[in-house]
Amino acid sequence: MMRKTLYFVVVALVVTMGANVFGQVKVDSETISGLGARNIGSAAMSGRISALDGRWEGDRLSLYIGTASGGVWKSQNGGTTFKPVFDKAGVQSIGAVTIDPKNPKVIWVGTGESWMRNSVSVGDGVYRSIDGGDNWTNLGLKESEHINKIIVDPKNTDTVYVCATGKLFSDSDDRGVYRTTNGGQSWTKILRGANASTGCGNLAVDPNDPKTLYAGMWDFRRQGWTFRSGGENETAASGSGLFKSTDGGNTWKELSDNSMTNGLPAKPWGRTALAVAPSNPKVVYATVEAAMPNNGLYRSDDAGKTWKALDRSQMMIWRPFYFSNLIVDPKDENKVFKAGGSLILSNDGGRSFSNVSGGAHGDFHDVWIDPANSSHVITGDDGGLWYSFDSANRWWKADNLPVSQFYHVSVDNDRPYHVYGGLQDNSSWIGSSEFPGGITSHQWENMYGGDGFWMFADPSDPDYVYAESQGGYIGRINRKTHESRGIQPLPKYNEGKLRYNWNAPIHVGKGGTLYLGSQFLFRSRDHGQTWDRMSPDLTTNDPNKQKQEESGGLIVDNSSAEMHTTIFAICESPLDPNLVWVGTDDGNVQVTRDGGRTWANVTGNIHGLAKNAWVTGVEASHFTPGTAYATFDLHTFGDMTPHAYKTTDFGKTWNPIVMPGGNVRGYAHVVKEDLKNKDLLFMGTEFGLWISLDGGRVWSQYKGGDFPNGVAVRDMAIQPRDNDLVIATHGRGIWIIDDITPLRALTQDTLAKDVAFLQAEPSVQKIQAGGGWANGDAAFVADNKPDDAVITYYQKKRHIFGDLKIEVLDAKGNVVGNIPTSKRKGLNRVKWGMRMPAPRVPPAASIAGGATIGPRLMPGLYIVRMTKDKQVYTTPLKVTLDPRVKFTAIDRKANFDLSMKVYDLLGQMTDDVQRINDVRLALDDRLSKTSDTNFQTRLKGWSGQVDALRRKIVATKEGGAITGEERLRDFASNLYGDLVGYEGAPSATQTARADALSRELGDVRKSFDDWLAKNLATINAELTQYKMDPIPMPTVSAAKPSAASSAAGAAEMPARFRFW
Amino acid sequence: MRKVLLFAVMTAVCALGVHGQTVDELLSKYVKTIGGADKLAAIKTMRITGKFMGGGGFEATVLQEAKRPNMIREEFGLQGMSQVNAYDGKQGWKIDPFQGKKDAETLGEDELKSIVEDSDFDGPLFDWKAKGNKIEYEGKEDFEGSDVYKLKVTLANGTVKHYFLDADYYVPIKIETKQTIRGTEVEFETILGDYKEAGGVYFPFSYESGRKGSPNRSTITYEKIEINPVLDDSRFTMPKGK
Repeated sequence: MMRKTLYFVVVALVVTMGANVFGQVKVDSETISGLGARNIGSAAMSGRISALDGRWEGDRLSLYIGTASGGVWKSQNGGTTFKPVFDKAGVQSIGAVTIDPKNPKVIWVGTGESWMRNSVSVGDGVYRSIDGGDNWTNLGLKESEHINKIIVDPKNTDTVYVCATGKLFSDSDDRGVYRTTNGGQSWTKILRGANASTGCGNLAVDPNDPKTLYAGMWDFRRQGWTFRSGGENETAASGSGLFKSTDGGNTWKELSDNSMTNGLPAKPWGRTALAVAPSNPKVVYATVEAAMPNNGLYRSDDAGKTWKALDRSQMMIWRPFYFSNLIVDPKDENKVFKAGGSLILSNDGGRSFSNVSGGAHGDFHDVWIDPANSSHVITGDDGGLWYSFDSANRWWKADNLPVSQFYHVSVDNDRPYHVYGGLQDNSSWIGSSEFPGGITSHQWENMYGGDGFWMFADPSDPDYVYAESQGGYIGRINRKTHESRGIQPLPKYNEGKLRYNWNAPIHVGKGGTLYLGSQFLFRSRDHGQTWDRMSPDLTTNDPNKQKQEESGGLIVDNSSAEMHTTIFAICESPLDPNLVWVGTDDGNVQVTRDGGRTWANVTGNIHGLAKNAWVTGVEASHFTPGTAYATFDLHTFGDMTPHAYKTTDFGKTWNPIVMPGGNVRGYAHVVKEDLKNKDLLFMGTEFGLWISLDGGRVWSQYKGGDFPNGVAVRDMAIQPRDNDLVIATHGRGIWIIDDITPLRALTQDTLAKDVAFLQAEPSVQKIQAGGGWANGDAAFVADNKPDDAVITYYQKKRHIFGDLKIEVLDAKGNVVGNIPTSKRKGLNRVKWGMRMPAPRVPPAASIAGGATIGPRLMPGLYIVRMTKDKQVYTTPLKVTLDPRVKFTAIDRKANFDLSMKVYDLLGQMTDDVQRINDVRLALDDRLSKTSDTNFQTRLKGWSGQVDALRRKIVATKEGGAITGEERLRDFASNLYGDLVGYEGAPSATQTARADALSRELGDVRKSFDDWLAKNLATINAELTQYKMDPIPMPTVSAAKPSAASSAAGAAEMPARFRFW
Repeated sequence: MRKVLLFAVMTAVCALGVHGQTVDELLSKYVKTIGGADKLAAIKTMRITGKFMGGGGFEATVLQEAKRPNMIREEFGLQGMSQVNAYDGKQGWKIDPFQGKKDAETLGEDELKSIVEDSDFDGPLFDWKAKGNKIEYEGKEDFEGSDVYKLKVTLANGTVKHYFLDADYYVPIKIETKQTIRGTEVEFETILGDYKEAGGVYFPFSYESGRKGSPNRSTITYEKIEINPVLDDSRFTMPKGK
């Protein structure tokens, strides 16, 4: 006992001191963020759009798209291209987007989506940009967490109303309708809910009289195992209701008061959607969630005095917590959209509705109708953004919004490897980590259906994958035929129902052992043909948390999204297949060390953690059997902070690896331990990725590349061969940090140095390949891992003054490359193309396209040398062949040698042309200096003779690239281009061609030398007579281009280069 | 004399604005760091030679010649061919042999806008008021782990540039540019480094540029800056057609 106390004191001390331990170099975001990340998408399945707004600016349409958890995206060309504009804000969940009616550069964003599904993220208040989204300022209401709508008074745009739904999982006063009259400097709550769980569910304004407001107040609460819209049931009291103000929100009148007989149904209510018809503001629509059969659409033609019940079709009344939006055509009071599971449209004032979802994904949340043309409609649903140009009859998918919401990710060992993962309402997909020409939507393939979660390649059979839909519906799918087979473990006699989480854990252990958790842990070693139930119920089995059939409030909604007391995390130790960790959504951490015969519930050993915390992840160490990590999520109890613990003794004792009040933001989803360095840890939370270099004492937020600040990191995988960190974000797709090897080498010793190279993986000379095709600009195309060798170094400070130069030397010490350097503090990455300088090429009328790059140097060992001012640092660089190539190292050498032969041939012809030009230009010079017409004629003749020889080598016809004129230079350049483009053994015909061209050049050279021998002396004698300088015997210029001043071509040619 | 007067005007104007003082302070520290206004003013012409590096082993040569007050010639060389863009203070022109054109032609409107910006010999931070530029201080930020002062520079032609001055040395380490080309915003950024002295003035010798948000970057590295070489005006004027 005593020993333990002491240990805690020591740990606490060390943790407190953290980065400030004397002599330690502080590790921060900048230290680690020099390793960029690339987003591989995908826009194929895209993700949930929660709110959108558009505005014509002149004749161009600007769009601002708010996403459920991927920020705000802006287009200035009606959707052809988008850019994310909210990536610095710190949260990515968007509830409302509103463009100022008077100034299209002023954009209001309410963060925290209010389509309140189980997985909804949170925001931190109201933001405004006054420069079209370049910069954002948080203007408060930070504790509101969810905002449904922002309305800017069209007449006085400093007056803004915010419909704050408020906290989802806990009581709070930070909800209701707020107003600012000074552009967001201060806020007044103008409508308060009846209780601490009632906020604003929807808000509408009369555009002609903006002091007239309608507010739908909504009493709503989730817990991990249940939710209620309205009260607990059909008859329980609810704070929900419909309110109207005619004085800008100073006073409100409840229209849903049960004492009124205005046609609205009796309370209790749930959620209400509202819309005022812009073309006739007396017309107000409201959907009312009330006890059946009085729920449905209501319409008032007298600005809310009286109401008439209209449509109550399924899509009108279905799941108001997720679908509560009405959009009236700006020009037609009788044309109204209701966003829902399907998008439905009425053209008769709400009496009847048609399904206009067409080929869109479904689960619609917002609609924008072009005020200039009602046929032009844009909508957002769970599958992204859709455009219609025929009044919502047919839909065109936006293929440029990679806002996909992954829950989990895994990788295989293919070259290049694939990533596997499932997404919110978007099934389970396989994507390629690389593809020649870039990764487009074509490189992603859907494999299953429903919502997707865990997904794995079957390591024992590459033709198969495992995927699941919600509630543990696991399938085994043939990758080629897409045939799938349900393999879910099923209940025994009289067992009723197995409890599978919405996001039920699948785990694949060594040798392909398959695990799946309900309340029991199942294991299969035969691809799901038979399952061992290898545990008792590992959860608390609390019956109070198993009443999903009563969940939903006014109207029961039991989709399995609230299924609770289930297993949520499984991890087999990579060191011992009999050691398996399990975490449950109701707070249990359980471990077996004997393959499931006995289980230890080690939850009680975790001190300081609230009870029943949702175990979001368990990670067994790759180094020590007794070590494991677990993340806990209390956000369903209203606690948004991270909780993560580590044990080193099989769960007997646990220590926190994140501290209250620390710098890690957001509830924790996952901890991954590096595969090579036990102190390198990665933590994903609702607001991003944090990295620790010291086993969890100090965490730094990863901000590399364009990785958005505040995006949820739900899962990660480390590709063991390529050492890539693959990051599953819930809102921005899959990101990859290529080769994290340098992070492993960031020791305190290294960090203390001014400059240090960091060991990276050997550089593979990737197969050169072309792929893809013109996609237009409206497609998301992801970057590949660089084809170049990547060199990583660390600098304690940014380099500003003096030289920072990096060269590459071959084994003999010759400089074979110069690399542009990166200057930043912390980790830097630079790229080297591994190529010789481009060959010298004689000048001609056009570029020799095939000869704009040098041959790739042979694989082998190189030395990288950095010169920083006077200091010199070196590191070895190993370059290897792509393991996929079918040729041998001998073939590669043969290719290199022949490439170099043609390379030299191009160089020789450069010399030959230079010698010819020396004589030709000298003759032309003399020609311009004599007035003797006879002599002029002779000079012209000689010049013409040598020029005829030049024209055998180079094309001289002006007028663009395609003159059809091909000469020796072009033949050699084409051959050269073919040789450097494929690095296997050259063909016999290529070898023969190189010889032939060499001979042909030799023939020209001989003709020129013969000509010189025959004519030069005569010419010079004549020149002397005319008192002109003789023409010297032409020689090859001594100045040969260095590696630093040659050539080119695969890259894009800049139209102009810019210095400043 | 002209210079001194302009500086006096600049100081007076800056003292008026709230941020003006800070802008003025920052710029005066910048000028001091790079060697002082006198040293800069003593430079009448410059010739810069360097190397362009695109991705995947693509390299080319670059040349820039500049002459006060606003003449500039830029060349991009590959395989013995040179693309020329130039401006003589009145007319912008180019020779684009890579497009199969050997004769000079006048620049289009957007190209002209760019080269006129480039022709500003001392850059837009100097004598900015007189040039009709607007500079606002937008606060301190972090850029790749370094503290930077952010200056919004609105050129007289409407182009907006953000200069990020290193907080220790006051020299720009990043410039973001937003241009409107054919009504469409184009954003790119340049990272500056390797400041070295030439003619008593520190110039960045390294420029890494790319479209904002794109990992594809090209770099220009200066090999040599010649101070006050003889540059005839004819280098900048459009050659007559042959």
